[in-house]
Amino acid sequence: MDSEDDMHDANDVESMDDDEGFYSDEMGMDYYGSDDDVDVDFGEDNEGIKRIEASRAENNFIILKESDIKQRQEEDITSVSTVLSISRAASSILLRYYNWSVSEVHEAWFADEDKVRKTFGLLKKPVIQLTSSRELTCGICFEAFHRSSIRSAACGHPFCCACWEGYIRTSIGDGPGCLILRCPDPSCGAAVGQDMITMLVSDEDNRKYSRYLLRSYIENNKKTKWCPAPGCEYAVNFVGDDENYDVSCLCSYGFCWNCTEEAHRPVDCSTVSKWIMKNSAESENMNWILANSKPCPKCKRPIEKNQGCMHMTCTPPCKFEFCWLCLGAWSDHGERTGGFYACNRYEAAKQEGVYDETERRREMAKNSLERYTHYYERWASNQLSRQKALADLHQMRTVHMEKLSDIQREPESQLKFITDAWQQIVECRRVLKWTYAYGYYLPEHEHAKRQFFEYLQGEAESGLERLHQCAEKELQQFLSADGPSKEFIDFHTKLAGLTGVTKNYFENLVSALENGLSDVDSQATCSGSSSKNGGSSKAKGGKGKGTSRAGGSSKNVDSTGMWTCEYCTYANSKHSTTCHMCHHQRR
Amino acid sequence: MTVLSLNFETVFLCTPQAVRTDSVFQSGLCGAVLYLSFQATANMQASRARLFKEYKEVQREKVADPDIQLVCDDSNIFKWTALIKGPSETPFEGGVFQLAFAVPEQYPLQPPQVRFLTKIFHPNVHFKTGEICLDILKNAWSPAWTLQSVCRAIIALMAHPEPDSPLNCDSGNLLRSGDLRGYYSMARMYTKLAAMPKKG
Repeated sequence: MDSEDDMHDANDVESMDDDEGFYSDEMGMDYYGSDDDVDVDFGEDNEGIKRIEASRAENNFIILKESDIKQRQEEDITSVSTVLSISRAASSILLRYYNWSVSEVHEAWFADEDKVRKTFGLLKKPVIQLTSSRELTCGICFEAFHRSSIRSAACGHPFCCACWEGYIRTSIGDGPGCLILRCPDPSCGAAVGQDMITMLVSDEDNRKYSRYLLRSYIENNKKTKWCPAPGCEYAVNFVGDDENYDVSCLCSYGFCWNCTEEAHRPVDCSTVSKWIMKNSAESENMNWILANSKPCPKCKRPIEKNQGCMHMTCTPPCKFEFCWLCLGAWSDHGERTGGFYACNRYEAAKQEGVYDETERRREMAKNSLERYTHYYERWASNQLSRQKALADLHQMRTVHMEKLSDIQREPESQLKFITDAWQQIVECRRVLKWTYAYGYYLPEHEHAKRQFFEYLQGEAESGLERLHQCAEKELQQFLSADGPSKEFIDFHTKLAGLTGVTKNYFENLVSALENGLSDVDSQATCSGSSSKNGGSSKAKGGKGKGTSRAGGSSKNVDSTGMWTCEYCTYANSKHSTTCHMCHHQRR
Repeated sequence: MTVLSLNFETVFLCTPQAVRTDSVFQSGLCGAVLYLSFQATANMQASRARLFKEYKEVQREKVADPDIQLVCDDSNIFKWTALIKGPSETPFEGGVFQLAFAVPEQYPLQPPQVRFLTKIFHPNVHFKTGEICLDILKNAWSPAWTLQSVCRAIIALMAHPEPDSPLNCDSGNLLRSGDLRGYYSMARMYTKLAAMPKKG
């Protein structure tokens, strides 16, 4: 947290750079930074083999293309094979077992070479002596073959080429387990390396094997992960170790290194996973509520939302303008009415009244669902809006920019402010989306924090709505115009201005959430309890028992971390809070 | 039913062509053959060849290993049965247990499916179906194993049960809770009931 606090407290150039980097995540592909790593001897930085540094000031991660992965893997194998004087195939097997850590292989090997050789089946000499006869019997099909058509691993057990081929093919067909293939003889553990496999099986199986080897290099390494975006083939090498886990791939997908969910700054991973769990559990119920249409609040005709912003206009003759989220008139949402954009507020109090007991309980159940629906709906709407905005950004880049440039007689470089605006929209929708998950888990009794949060969120959201509306709707008239118009300059000023303003609002929001809304604590001490772990919060109700775990429950816990149930003496794992057998609470 | 006493050599030698044209002959021998493609037929030739080798080996070894009696089904070389003797100093001593082998076409690249036909009370054998939980019949299979060595492995399993991965939970729990006497007497009872000749 230190680094983050510094980042936002200090007003120096560095922190500005950092924010710049954060908000241009989506543009990662525009930046091919120079390589300033020390141990680089790649020769010329050709187009083909190029290591791309992230645009961020911190250089927390490196995106690896397939060619980069191959190259790194080859280098590691070569390094081990030279240092230990063993074959490349054997090096590859060792590296695979030691999760592709060159240093660990060296350490283990030089500590006890014989043990390593024995464990991983890298034999020095054959374990069986073959007879000197010209014919040998294959250990699988039991046919006799001429010596020349018999192959063996280092152990010397003889098998014919056809049986080897079948054995290896079956193993490759079974998955990445083929990378640790051993001699078919049950009592023998001799490793079968890539050299033998290349020699014995078809090109297709060899391709599959190489694929598994490549995947293993990423998947078995703690510091690398595949980009989780569908269809993306890049991998990410994380080199930072601070708490900033946001990573953006060259495919423009941003994700969290820690939990591999979609990037969710400023909300933390545990809140996100709780929220995603909740969504998957309740989404069935939500589906009908969130069906894609809503009736127009005035004329009741069903309306499908097909554009990004929340400002809806019913089709003529109704023409009613309303807010998609609260279905209230849009005129209530402007600044003219003296209010601010209030759609993010959930009026918990609005259900208050005099009820009898059952009525009240029913009402509470309804409220908790309603409360969740409120946040989920806004989360999902922003998600959809973001996807729409991403598509619009793409459309803008590929089609409209050129068209607009022709109409307005401006070079495309002068129109960059439009794509900038769209990128800002995409990023803001993402942040806004996650703030709704944050809001759902913000304890209800912390009124001051809630108010502050809702204020910031509301400011940011209304700014974003204005920006989105401007970029989406007001641009249309210039796209359909015949020639250059004076208004376009005004439009330029307005859109660029809105982009800047919105960016500021979101920066405030992000930094406030990242320091846990601590501004409130210093000012509003009167609100009394500000402990984060307040038991009464409904938000945590779903998890319930989870909170009691932290209590002083050290007794009954043995050295292995198991705890013994007081009632039935069953030994439970340390993570469970109720007994697995008798369901009594852990004491 | 004269066809049934066929020499296996002929079966093994018949070409894919013969398999497809002479379907009457083949259906008497092995119904499944009719549905096979060229690829599978090639596969099957390999497994037939291997099974035939094992068959000859078994004929020769019959005297050598008195605990195992492997018999190939007269009409289908992919179906085998085995009679194994319960190992001594176990509750299965004195019993004779029948095993059924269903050999897949990919044999020996894929393991055979084996189950007990004789009822047995053992942690790693399903009490109702006779299914066996043994690593070499699943992921630890190696094509260098034979039906004969599988039988030996099953005898070893009878002597050394693995109560931590039980198919028969009652039996596994007796052993896990240390009730050796309980386990022994249950297993003994079922051996006497199911695996020993009735004394008339």
